[in-house]
Amino acid sequence: MGFSVTELYKKYGEKVVVDHLSFKMDQPGVYALLGTNGAGKTTSIRMILNMLAKDGGTVEWNGGPLTLRTCNVGYLAEERGLYPKNTLMDQLMYFAALRGVSRDEAKKRIRYWAERLDAVEYLYPKQEGKKPVKPKKADQLSKGNQQKIQLMLSLLSDPELLILDEPLSGLDPVNTDLFKGIIHEEIEKGKYLIMSSHQMATIEEFCTDLTILSRSKTVLQGNLADIKKSYGRINLFIKAEQELRDEIEAAGITILSSVGFSYQCRVTGEAQANALLKTLVSREIPLIAFELREPSLHEIFVEKVGETHEES
Amino acid sequence: MKNPELHGVGTVFRYTVQQHYKTPSVVAFLVILFLLAAGSMPLALLMSGHESEVEETKIHTLYLRNECAFSIVTDSVLADERYQALKITETDEDDDTLSEKVLAEADAAAAVISMKDGMLMPSLTLRTVYGENGDVTSADAETLNHLLENALHDSLMASLAITKDQEAIVNSGVTSRVARIADYRAGAEESNTDTHVFVNMFYCYFIMILCGISIGYVFQQCMEEKVSKLVESLLVSVSPTALLTGKLLAVMLFVFSGLAVVGLGFFVSFQLIKPFGGFGFAAPTVENILHFSFADLHFTLPTILLFVVCILIAFAMCAGLSGISGSCCSKTEDTQQASLVSMTFLLTGYLAGAFAPMFESDAVNIFCSLFPVTSVFTALPNYTCGKIGLPLLLLALVIQALTALFLMRTAGRVYKMMLLYRGGVPKPAQIIRMLKENKAAEKAAAGKEAPHAE
Repeated sequence: MGFSVTELYKKYGEKVVVDHLSFKMDQPGVYALLGTNGAGKTTSIRMILNMLAKDGGTVEWNGGPLTLRTCNVGYLAEERGLYPKNTLMDQLMYFAALRGVSRDEAKKRIRYWAERLDAVEYLYPKQEGKKPVKPKKADQLSKGNQQKIQLMLSLLSDPELLILDEPLSGLDPVNTDLFKGIIHEEIEKGKYLIMSSHQMATIEEFCTDLTILSRSKTVLQGNLADIKKSYGRINLFIKAEQELRDEIEAAGITILSSVGFSYQCRVTGEAQANALLKTLVSREIPLIAFELREPSLHEIFVEKVGETHEES
Repeated sequence: MKNPELHGVGTVFRYTVQQHYKTPSVVAFLVILFLLAAGSMPLALLMSGHESEVEETKIHTLYLRNECAFSIVTDSVLADERYQALKITETDEDDDTLSEKVLAEADAAAAVISMKDGMLMPSLTLRTVYGENGDVTSADAETLNHLLENALHDSLMASLAITKDQEAIVNSGVTSRVARIADYRAGAEESNTDTHVFVNMFYCYFIMILCGISIGYVFQQCMEEKVSKLVESLLVSVSPTALLTGKLLAVMLFVFSGLAVVGLGFFVSFQLIKPFGGFGFAAPTVENILHFSFADLHFTLPTILLFVVCILIAFAMCAGLSGISGSCCSKTEDTQQASLVSMTFLLTGYLAGAFAPMFESDAVNIFCSLFPVTSVFTALPNYTCGKIGLPLLLLALVIQALTALFLMRTAGRVYKMMLLYRGGVPKPAQIIRMLKENKAAEKAAAGKEAPHAE
């Protein structure tokens, strides 16, 4: 059981755009595919889904090649749209039919998702007076509401593998929470999710494993918790009511940034931070905050991508 | 469906057709098309001034003024049972007096025979007039006029002492044809050049219209998912091959349903004019002015079947070519540049079809019938007019079918390759290079797994 990508490779002319990407998901969960713009995330997803011909590598689902027939895939693409002049219901029924969902079942599922995504008024417009109600067309909807329909399209077949490319971009806070709730539900249902996003906080909220791509190469890969643990608690945040620069530097700690009497520092380990805390307490310096924590995904991403940029 | 690449063709086809016919402008267009076709023949009939003959006449008196040098024998008019009681009075009164007389008598009409100066030579003119307030109708006057015209013609021939046989010989003209001994012995009749030109021209117009409409539809269908940015979402549900096949089948239905509507319109149109003598009003015009002869054509049931096959292949060729060009477009503005290829195909074929018959050369006819671009426009008319035989026509159809198949397959590959492409229209060399790279990548991947396969 599971999903795996092995040595995925693609080049355009002489330019390598995906350089031997490998990762696997042995059990349901969320896998994050991160990277800078042009790192090869979308190209990798397109190859995984057989939209682009691979120059090398394999994609497997439950031990066999992943194809339209062997795996029920749902995909919310980064470049997404709808037929502007066709009614929303027609489009949803069309997608359901293409995925082999029967008419009756499709109607049930559309009703469910319309209610879940708060899109009932667009799909089932109410009669006002004696005027006949015209079904809504895609170009009559806002971008956010179109995105709800697009998410419905990807979920209609009740997919085993769900690929979400920038699922939350362009959404207002209310709809962001709505989408997040649905992603949580899909995780609870035991689905395999691959998510690509530039919003690191979102990825941190959902994912268990990740790959960071930079300039077509894998620069970091593994379990997010393990990665963070491997870095240790090296981020120190101090806020005081007076200048502390001399004390921090005297303890051999690097100040990354400072605003007023707030300092963002990097320590070598917990012992170094404890030593500084002991010094500050012994001198009776009043502290507002003293926090030692693991690096955030954002910080890890910037560091790793920054390293490859420096190397190149 | 066994081929997984074609899974979903039916769904794509149904959806595309459903959305097309849901558009009010499409329905309006078809209705207008039908009305135009249905109204065409009655309108032409009305404009020709042709009316059906009456069964009973209200004309009892005819004033006849003959200004010509020979006398008109009216026995044939009186021999017609409807006009047996007609009283013909010869007169030389002027127009005003004659008009007053006709207006005063409800059952009177007048006929004036005169010699008028024409552009090249003088011509005989017969004019039958009737009072607009009397009992005589236009159709009644028309019927009498027709009988008088025949009587005038016979009298003219009699005055020149020309017999019926002599007249037939003078009017028959000379038909000259060139034929090979083999054809001559086989009795293979060729039509005259005028008929050949007319048939080719008509067929070329037809193919032009068929292909012209198809190009627009195919372009629209090839670009629809790209423009609406729906392509990636769609490709996890259906393969590009199935998507394009479903769409092209739908386009075929749009085009041929349009033709069927026109055909139905013409059928209704013919039914409307049938009680008035059918094509009788137009046939002499076509035959005399265009020197076109229906009798010259090899027009049989198999020809009709061949016609259906020919237009299907013509559509497939045009759809394949437009599919290649249309797949290279990412936005509406690109279509102008991309449509040049299809337009060149149309114009080349049309010009060849329109002008080749004028050369009266076997070599030109055979070349045009076999060369794929011109073959679509010329092979069937050449066969129908006896310029090529059935074996050559069948060979032409095989060549056309193979070309169409090649174009359709290439269109499928280009469509698949270009679905995710964004940018200007690539040059042909660039497309070929991309196709080669893609094929190599597919071959490399095929060793490990087959995309879109079970």
